[in-house]
Formats: sequence, structure tokens, C-alpha cells
Amino acid sequence: MTAAGTAPAGAGAGHAAVLPHLRYRLVRDTGLIAGRYLRVLRRNPGRLIYPLLQPLVLLTLFLSVFGNLAAGRNAAPGAYREFLVPGIIIQNAALTAPTTGLALLRDAGSGLADRFRSLPMSRPAVLLGRLGGDAVIYAVQAALLLGVATVLGFTVRTGLAGAAGIVNIAVAFGLAISVLSAWLALLINDAETAERVLFFPAIAIAFVSSAFAPVADLAGWMRPVARFNPVSAAADLIRTLAAGGPAARPFWLLACWIAVLVAVPGVLAVRRWQASP
Amino acid sequence: MLNSSAAGSPLAVDASGVAKSFGSVTALSGIDLAVPAGTLAALLGPNGAGKTTLVRIVATLTRPDRGRVRVLGFDVAAQPGEVRRRIGLTGQFAGLDDALSGTENLVLIGRLAGLRRREARARASQVAELVAMASAAGRSVRTYSGGMRRRLDLAASLMTSPPLLVLDEPTTGLDPASRQQLWQALAGLRAAGTTMLLTTQYLEEADRFADQVHVLDRGAIIASGTPAQLKSLVGGQVVEIALADPGAGQSAAGYPAANCLAAGYPAPDGLALDAEAVARALAGRLDLPPGSVRAESSARRLTVLTRTGTDGDAGVLLDVAAALRADGVPVADLALRQPSLDEAFLALTGRPEVAA
Repeated sequence: MTAAGTAPAGAGAGHAAVLPHLRYRLVRDTGLIAGRYLRVLRRNPGRLIYPLLQPLVLLTLFLSVFGNLAAGRNAAPGAYREFLVPGIIIQNAALTAPTTGLALLRDAGSGLADRFRSLPMSRPAVLLGRLGGDAVIYAVQAALLLGVATVLGFTVRTGLAGAAGIVNIAVAFGLAISVLSAWLALLINDAETAERVLFFPAIAIAFVSSAFAPVADLAGWMRPVARFNPVSAAADLIRTLAAGGPAARPFWLLACWIAVLVAVPGVLAVRRWQASP
Repeated sequence: MLNSSAAGSPLAVDASGVAKSFGSVTALSGIDLAVPAGTLAALLGPNGAGKTTLVRIVATLTRPDRGRVRVLGFDVAAQPGEVRRRIGLTGQFAGLDDALSGTENLVLIGRLAGLRRREARARASQVAELVAMASAAGRSVRTYSGGMRRRLDLAASLMTSPPLLVLDEPTTGLDPASRQQLWQALAGLRAAGTTMLLTTQYLEEADRFADQVHVLDRGAIIASGTPAQLKSLVGGQVVEIALADPGAGQSAAGYPAANCLAAGYPAPDGLALDAEAVARALAGRLDLPPGSVRAESSARRLTVLTRTGTDGDAGVLLDVAAALRADGVPVADLALRQPSLDEAFLALTGRPEVAA
């Protein structure tokens, strides 16, 4: 302590606050906020059931029921397993993303938002820190899903590097949808409404995509939507990576999606968080 | 507006012409406020008077539409970062993460305020001690009572030893014991030289603790001064009358019914006298405006607010006694006292504090 030894908060005591350079603060404060969320998870492990345990149960059920089906016209038995696992990884990331918006909204509705705004901290760090914590969740989620899927017969032909790539894709995709959910939640601005509204589009975009069936096998009206869908782009990239094919086209398609999702709702979400009444 | 003798001492809060509207609702319409360093200023006013808006502007949470606010020498609009480095805010709702322990909250907030990890930990145990929360600091905030939450929230705003504390209704909703504990902590801080700007709904708190009271009404400061100065604004003195219970000891028939009728009271046909009617008649006899004689809800007590008479002048008391005797109103007790801050508030705003 450099200040306020015995006098607890004297005006003359000054403040012990150390204020590093602003750019460094953004990184530091983001880390602190991310640490806050991870600490909350450690103290309340029940909160991990939804993002980590439930996807594994779903994966096991899906693979046990559909794993031996053939996919496409002339595919071998079990080919559907190779098709389905990437879809499930992305579907679970999409279904986890709404928790980002809900958590931000919970903070905004409590006194914490005012507390943070009254601190000399970096303001975007509140959102970025949450995303940092979410990145860890997405990574663990994807790694666990890959591990269990491998036990159940899924193969990644590109080895560990491919698996790492798949985890990274899931993280990047999840964060992009998280940003979207953050903006939507702050726009809705009511925790209960957001809870009821945010999960629905997440389910819809997961099903109207190539996550569970090739686009060609979907209902006719679904096909244009499924082709123009970040879930399809992400699942296709994971499939390509797992199978070891040329990944440039699906990579750039997904990169464009993520860029758009992060740039537009991201700026809007930060602006909304900062906007003081 | 009364100006206290703060000449020479630097101002912790210096606001002039502050205005703020939310849509068509005017929250503040040109406020001037000066809080000298090292003092405790209380903002008093009915709900919706603009108290919270004003403290939010001081704490950089809301931007004023017009006017200028300097906090410890820094402009809230131009240098909000500098202001935030020097203030601690305890808002109306505790700014804590329920899922973390008290200590974890304190350390997180301290570190976000710029403390290093070790400093933050050391300071967290100091401030927890200061608000009598040391033994509960390891527990999850979720398990705290309202009073404990409030005290930990106060501790959080003390992490950087800010020279200015901004507190929005710090004691609202607390039981008397918790309120007492919170005030003990605040008194200790003030003794150490911390400037405080707080809003409160409790007039007796402002009376006991504030150096300066600013009364807000409809977005404007309508009076400022020490509690004693505000009370003297009411002018005159207060006579308290306790009506005798006609049922006990005396028979109602003993009252000179003719006198009562002449004075416009309902005839006391064996029932209690109507205190409201006594109040009206008394105001007439003493030639006071009707509002200055009030019947309290217990219906057996009246207060007479007089503009005449000063401290040490019992003439008012004699006038009231004579008027009551002339009407034959049975009286159990008569007392003369100085007006309370509640009465000052009522006289200034024209309505009781509790009215929303």
C-alpha cells in the first residue's frame, strides 16, 4: 500500500490507483473481466452443465441414433457420422452464444453497470472480457465434443493440427454469434424477453443450415437460407478440415461471415453499452 | 438561497446551471451546487425531484444537457476519466457480482480501478474491516442481507481511497441497526477528511450528519443551508397540542357545548372531539393560514406552526392556550419547540417528504 496506511480514505491520502497506459488498460481490464466470469464458473460449477455437459449428451444421443446412416446418395454406412459431428459442434456453439447477451443484460440491470461506468476502466473491456471468458468455454466445448466424437468413431484425417483448427473455428464462430447476441440483448433491454427471444433464432439458424443434412436434401424453401448461413459455412469448413480437402473457399466464406458479424453488431453493442442515459 | 461560509476552502463539487431532460421530462432545470472539500452535503427532495440525476451527473454516469460541473477541479464532460479516478460511487443498487465472494468483488473492483493485485488484496481486507464486514467477506454475496450488501458496496467504492464519495440513498431500505452501522462507517470517513455528496429520504439523517442540506424540488434547488439555517427558514416556532381524551376521567357532558358550536365544532355528543375541526377553528381564532395548524393522524395531536415569535418567546404558547380555553377545548398537554427539518421541508416544498 502506498497510500492510506492508517487513515482509511482521507482526502489527503491520495489514491493508490496505478493507471497504466490506455491501450494496455484495455488488455488488462479485458483480462480482469474474463477472469471474473471464469471465477464465477469455478464457484458455481452448475453453470457449466448447459455449455459443456448438455452438448456431450446431445452428441452421444445423435451419434447413437443416426451414426450408422449413410449420407448422400452413394455414401458408405457411417458417412453420416462424419457429416453430423461438425454440424453438432457448430450447433452447440450457436446455442451457447445467447448466454453472452443474457449475462451482459444481467450486469446492465444490476448496479454493476453503474459501478463499471464510474470506474476509470476501459469501457469496451466489459464486453471484450465477457467474450474472452466465452472463448474459453467455446474451446473447451469443442474439444470435449471432438474427444467424445472420436471415441464414438469420428475421424479427423488431418490429425492434431486439424483438431486444433476445428476448435479454433468453433471459437471464432461462437464469438461472432456471441457478439450478435450481445447487441440483440442490449437492444431488447429486458432480461426475461431476451431469454425467450434469443434462443429461438439460434435454434432456427442451426436447423435451416447444412448442420444436420446436406443442403440438397433440405426442403426447397430452406435451401437458399441454408446456403446463405454462417452455420453452414462453419460446418462446411470443419468438414473440409476433418476430411483433409482444400479449405480455402469455405475458409474465406466463414471469415467474411465472422468479419460482418463482429464488425457491425460489435460496434453497435459497444456503443449501446457505453451510451449513458 | 443561503450561502454557508465556505470561503477559501476548495470545492469538491462545483456545478453551475446544470440542466437535464429525458425526452419531455425535465429532470434538472439549472442547478447550482457547491460542495466544499471535506464536508458532507445532503440532497433532499421528494421522489422525482432530480436528486439521482444530479448525483449521476457528478459521477460521470449521465451527461448534462447544459451547464458545467467540475469535480475536484476536473470537468465531468471533458475529463470523465480524471473524475472517475477520484470518486467512489455507491449507487441505489449494489454494484456487486452476487456469484462472487465479498473479497473477490472488492479485489476485482480495486483492480479495475487500477490497483495492483497485491495492493487490491491488502486494501480489500482494510475496507472490509472498515465497514464491519471482515468476517463475512469470504462468503458469497448471494448470502448477504440487504445491510451487508450495502456495506460491502460502500467498501467497494472505498478501494482507491477516493477523496469524494457519491452516495445515492445509501440507507434506503435498511433496518435501523444496519443504518446505524453504515452511518458509523460514513462518520469515520468524514473524520478522515473524505468529502461526501449523498441523497437521502431520511430527514433526520440529513439533520444529524450533513454540513449542508440542499432541498431539491421539481429539478431545482429551492433552498440550501445548514440544517439549522433551513429550520429557521420556517420562521417562528411550533406549538404542540395534545387533546384530552373525553372518555377518560371527564364526561363529555362537562364540555361547554355552546362554545363548541359557536366555534364551529361538531357538538361533542359523548364522542371524541374532531381534531380536524379543532385545527380549522384554531387557525381562524389565531388568524393563521389554514395549513399552519395541522391535525396529526393519531387525531389527538395538533401542531401549530407560527411565523411570529422567536426562540425564548412564549407569547405564542399563551395565545394558543387562550384560544383553546375560549373554545372550551380540553387539553392534556401544550408544548413549545423549534421546527423540525420535516416541517422546514413541508414549508419549503408545500408537501410532506413522503409524497411521491
